[in-house]
Amino acid sequence: MIQQGQEEPAAIPTVNIDGANVPFTEGETLYEICSRQKKDVPTLCYDPRLDPFGGCRLCVVELEGARNPVASCTTRATAGMKVRTKTEAIENHRRTLLELVVSENRQVEVDELAGYASQELKILVERYDANRGRFQGKQSGQSRDDDDNPFILRDYDQCISCYRCVRVCAEQEGDHAISVMNRGFDTRITTEFNGLLRDSDCTFCGQCVQTCPTGALADKKALKHVDVPGKIEKTRSVCPYCGVGCSVDLLSKGDKLVGVLPAMDGPANEGALCVKGQFAFGFVQHDDRLKTPMVRDEDGKLHATSWDNALDRAAEGLRAVVERHGREALYAIASGRAPHEAAYTMQKMMRAGWGLNHIDNCSRA
Amino acid sequence: MPSPTDAEIFTRWANTEAPLLPILHAFHDRDGFLGEKAIHAISEALRTPIADLYGTVTFYHHFAQQAPGQSAPRVCTGPICKLKGADALLDAMRGEGATPMACSGRCDDPVPVLKGHQTLVACDGQMTPWYSPIPIPNPGGLEECVFASIREPDRGTHDGYRRTGGYLGLEKALATDPAAVRQTISDSGLAGRGGAGFPTGRKWDAVAEDPRGPKTIVCNADEGEPGCFKDRTLMDLDPHAVIEGMAIAAHATGATRGFIYLRYEYPETAQILERALKEARATGLLGGQTGFDLWVRRGGGAYICGEETSLLNSLEGKHPFPRNRPPFPVTHGYENLPTVVNNVETLASVPPILSNGADWYRQLGTGEHAGTKVISLSGDVLRPGNYEVPLGLPLSKLLHEWAGGVPEGRAIQAVTMAGLSGGFLAREGLDVTLDEPSIRAQGSFLGAGGIMVLDDSRDMVAVAHSAMEFFAHESCGKCFPCRIGTARLTERLGSGGPASFESWREEVDDIGSTMKATSACGLGMAAPLITESLARWFPDQVETHLNSTTS
Amino acid sequence: MSNPLADMDKPDVFFCIGTNMTECHPVAATRIKKGVAAGAKLIVVDPRQIELAKRADLHLPIRVGSDTALLLAMTHVIARDDLVDQSFTAERTTGLEEFIEHVRDFSPEWAAGICEVPAEDIEAAARIYGQAERGAIYYTLGITEHICGVDNVKSLCNLALMTGHIGREGTGINPMRGQNNIQGAGDCGAIPNNYPGFQPVDDPAHQEKFERLWGTRVDLERGMTKVTALERCGESVFGMVINGENTLLSDPDRAHCQHALESLDHLIVIDLFLTETAKLAHVVLPATAWAETDGVCTNTERRVQRLRAAVPAQGEAMPDWWIITQIAKRLGFEGFDYESAEDVFNELCQVSPLYNGLDWDRIDNSEYHWPVPDKDHPGTPRLHEDGFVNGRGIFSCTTYRDPAETINDEYPLWLTTGRRLQSYHTHTQTGRAGGMEYFLPGESLEIHPDDVTRLGLTDGEACRMSSPRGTVDIIVKATTKSPPGTVFTSFSFEDTPVNALTGSGYDPTTHTAELKVCPVRVEPIAAG
Repeated sequence: MIQQGQEEPAAIPTVNIDGANVPFTEGETLYEICSRQKKDVPTLCYDPRLDPFGGCRLCVVELEGARNPVASCTTRATAGMKVRTKTEAIENHRRTLLELVVSENRQVEVDELAGYASQELKILVERYDANRGRFQGKQSGQSRDDDDNPFILRDYDQCISCYRCVRVCAEQEGDHAISVMNRGFDTRITTEFNGLLRDSDCTFCGQCVQTCPTGALADKKALKHVDVPGKIEKTRSVCPYCGVGCSVDLLSKGDKLVGVLPAMDGPANEGALCVKGQFAFGFVQHDDRLKTPMVRDEDGKLHATSWDNALDRAAEGLRAVVERHGREALYAIASGRAPHEAAYTMQKMMRAGWGLNHIDNCSRA
Repeated sequence: MPSPTDAEIFTRWANTEAPLLPILHAFHDRDGFLGEKAIHAISEALRTPIADLYGTVTFYHHFAQQAPGQSAPRVCTGPICKLKGADALLDAMRGEGATPMACSGRCDDPVPVLKGHQTLVACDGQMTPWYSPIPIPNPGGLEECVFASIREPDRGTHDGYRRTGGYLGLEKALATDPAAVRQTISDSGLAGRGGAGFPTGRKWDAVAEDPRGPKTIVCNADEGEPGCFKDRTLMDLDPHAVIEGMAIAAHATGATRGFIYLRYEYPETAQILERALKEARATGLLGGQTGFDLWVRRGGGAYICGEETSLLNSLEGKHPFPRNRPPFPVTHGYENLPTVVNNVETLASVPPILSNGADWYRQLGTGEHAGTKVISLSGDVLRPGNYEVPLGLPLSKLLHEWAGGVPEGRAIQAVTMAGLSGGFLAREGLDVTLDEPSIRAQGSFLGAGGIMVLDDSRDMVAVAHSAMEFFAHESCGKCFPCRIGTARLTERLGSGGPASFESWREEVDDIGSTMKATSACGLGMAAPLITESLARWFPDQVETHLNSTTS
Repeated sequence: MSNPLADMDKPDVFFCIGTNMTECHPVAATRIKKGVAAGAKLIVVDPRQIELAKRADLHLPIRVGSDTALLLAMTHVIARDDLVDQSFTAERTTGLEEFIEHVRDFSPEWAAGICEVPAEDIEAAARIYGQAERGAIYYTLGITEHICGVDNVKSLCNLALMTGHIGREGTGINPMRGQNNIQGAGDCGAIPNNYPGFQPVDDPAHQEKFERLWGTRVDLERGMTKVTALERCGESVFGMVINGENTLLSDPDRAHCQHALESLDHLIVIDLFLTETAKLAHVVLPATAWAETDGVCTNTERRVQRLRAAVPAQGEAMPDWWIITQIAKRLGFEGFDYESAEDVFNELCQVSPLYNGLDWDRIDNSEYHWPVPDKDHPGTPRLHEDGFVNGRGIFSCTTYRDPAETINDEYPLWLTTGRRLQSYHTHTQTGRAGGMEYFLPGESLEIHPDDVTRLGLTDGEACRMSSPRGTVDIIVKATTKSPPGTVFTSFSFEDTPVNALTGSGYDPTTHTAELKVCPVRVEPIAAG
């Protein structure tokens, strides 16, 4: 309530969205405000981490006083704007745009394992019933089957030229490994001199894959598991490699680990990963994994055995060392790769068990 | 002259304003193409990511990536040249490595062939250099603005220009408060002559009032619209008028630097401008004490660079996609700083306005329409060429009385407006006067003032097809409606698309209305006027075409 | 890190020394790349032309092991040119005057002779960092894996203290931790000098506290470091438990290391694979892997995060904590009745003051940076904001020392080692991830093309590299990424066990090995 004698505070600026006044903060775009209002404005070229681009034009809205609809993603709100997000004319334009996109795209259905955003086109096409076979004509894009890298599928037959991949590589990764070549219907996603990713500045971080809305860029490693039966489950965890601690969503089907997605809301990475975090998960279910305990027998070789036997042998061996050389003859090295619980129990065994501080970890190498 | 080394090229250009384009040209001229080695070297010297640089180079039509490249002939296959047998000429020259190029802005001349830095035309079986002709005086002796002194001998030199009243406007401006100069321009009613028609005075005010700097004057000389060739004529015959206009603009707005962004296809113009700039600097009109200097930057062959924000990206060495607006160039132009972008004709109009006053300019037009407009007239008329008309002049008067009408025995079938961007006018649509309100009432617009005349022997669907091919070829690829829409419309004017007129019409209308409503820049908004006006004026020709392609 | 990763969009000057971040901490490096693109200045100190160096405003390719000299000279310039933050040093530090007196002798010209970079560049670096509004230091093992690792770190502290680039947004001294939970291993007390929560073992109060908690009295004496333990294997150390470390490949002086482990009476290895180290064990116990294990880890910015199991264990593998607990129980130890990782973690939270405010449920959303002293505490993304733990920041009068071994006629090249983007550590995981071999089929030795020619080597062919401790055959890769006189390789590959050569010395305080410097000889392999 305004108290007497005080100056009236400046009214909080609002825009009118579909009849309702909505407050906004300086610099916000109409698209951001619409998203907050759950307006479900469609888009294909938008990634909240990137600068607004205004390419797909699906997010157009009617703005009172403007001759043409405006792209909501590139239009910053100013006080008093009146916006309509879903008029018949606007919805018709969106449908036509989607039909045009479908007409140049060889396939709308892609497996979810292709990447984080891979279902975006499919979902919009279904929503607008835009797969009616209109606007037939030549198709754009050109799949790069010759790129034999093991991680990133470059099936540009499905590319719709939204340039999210190019922009994420430049703006998020700062790598500028890919760019746009030619123009118009002949635009292609390219590397320097249109070569293989390996011969470019690409670091295979996979960001382009995860932002691609059609699966044109896709995770080859995950796609190997398309035929594994079962529903995809997501489990939030943290990357096992360096100390940055990027949040990931592990993808599994039944007992099978099938892929990794960067967590867009991960505090350390905000959606980013590197080649290891993105693609180097195969070790978990590798055939080389130790599956049973092993003990060295009289023959001098390691043999598989039961947990009971192995643990007995482990404990006996330690006890024997203590008997022979005293407790100071024991030492333990904890892992910088294992969780807290491993390091804690290890040091506790040395300290609470033998009263020893003979414990270290691998940080010195 | 020995060809420069990489290091010499970088020493010359790397620390200049807007260095990428001149560096690309230097390598292109030296090697004949922009190869991997050159791109590597440029990427390193300018610290530009190599993939970005490669992608940007491929955007420009004229930058070759392999031999023969720069020296190979390019034959204009623009809409009028096509009518004049350009395809046959191209075929004849294929052996020399000739390739087609979009309208190169010489529609009033024989079919031009661009080779290196020369424009050639076939003359008695010989390829001979060709220069811009002097505009034909109008038959009524009506007073002109930009053409008033253009026919004077030596007008293109500094001395000749001075002798015929040149640089008086600048002298007057420099003795006047900048705000008063801007007021004169506002009062004159001068508006953007590149087609957008934005009031020039208001644009200058916005730049002048912005506290940030340095400010820039950009002369948009990327005259890429098919059927438009007025700017080339102005620059070739009256280069100092453009320089003077820019210097006045700089004084009026506080700008310290300027660029003339010139289309690739005008190499002779580049030389003429460079010579004039040298004279202007030598006589103390530019650089040094004046606090303003300007440079020519040549494009690489891209129609979209005539769109002012694409032009700015191109100047800055970025990928020439149009920028999102707002913000506009007046606040966020070159290097995101306040920038005037004016067309050649607009700037050339400024000195006479300063010399003769705002009222003088206003009254050159007819009725309430202020001033004049140069119309590039080409195609099926007896006297094609550039005509400076009073705004409001009836189109029929220009066509018949000034230009001599169509050839004997033929009738006018249609004209294009705004080059190609305004689509076609036919029948009662031809009863317009040459001003925006009149032409917009017919669903078209005057724009940059290119008018191509098509007589009744022409296949309108074929003309429309080649027009749409042009737009598809020049679509930058940034926004979906234009990138896909121009391709789909081209197919529907050729041999693709639905066979029945009803479904054809439905698809073409849907695509067209979405392109007009949602495209990110003028290219995608204008291109569907071709199909729209074709269907409006020539539905029978469309039906005939559909029947012929499906039978 | 003193400051959170999110602060990395705030510095106007990044000072990166001894950190090849784009390969070792790629996602953190993207933040620097973005900062630089937005106009921040970047100074890179690294002997090699690493990726960050290409983007730097100033790159100082110092001779390996000369960091302290450079840093001393930088502090000299900052003192000389009046770039000291007077109010910060007056309020928050002690010993400035003595320190300024100390660095008076260490001119850029003096350092230029040691570091082999121009004095002007040292001056420029000092001024850029000294004049920064928010200068932030980032470093990794290029700083610590030296015999003078501690001096290097102290020298960095001097820089930050002098200029007040600490305790504020976008500043700080930020070591990038190399392994996902190396920070956590320390947090949990898996170090010889500290109980969980970095509570020194030689403080009787802590001894008492843990006796109360665990019911046993632990020695007051600090334990020996791993380095010492490995030296004493077969002499006074006879039994060892190693969890998840391929010691044989990752540690210096492989021959010594192998001999040490072989001389043990009893070696237990808990790991995912039968590593080179596990092959020497008497008992090998299969642990569950990441993605199979519930648990907790702490990242480089002290953020405590949950690891969650998504798939069942392979074969009979069990979580590390379970395995260790089972051994402890068989040895008759009390206090190992854990049912779950949650039980273990919650006990850690009780005994560690840094974690007192945390428990298993509270870290579900990864929002806490330790210290979190109580349940009402919001966590500490930025250290030293209100003061230093021990009161005032203390300047250390460091001095320069040569590496343990320096180049000579017999071993005329400097070898420095590190990681590569596509392989991680000893490659036990990345080597089995599938696909990495496409990028990195094997290891090579990066040598400047001039050295390749001078030494009669051939690009792409094998050469022989020797140090006083051993010999390795490795493929030559001619590249200007290495400066003349210095060669580089990683320690990822079993067939090029470069740690057969390293191990010339250790930092006397931390016992960290000087893995970043090792004089070597490189020669062609004689035909036939």
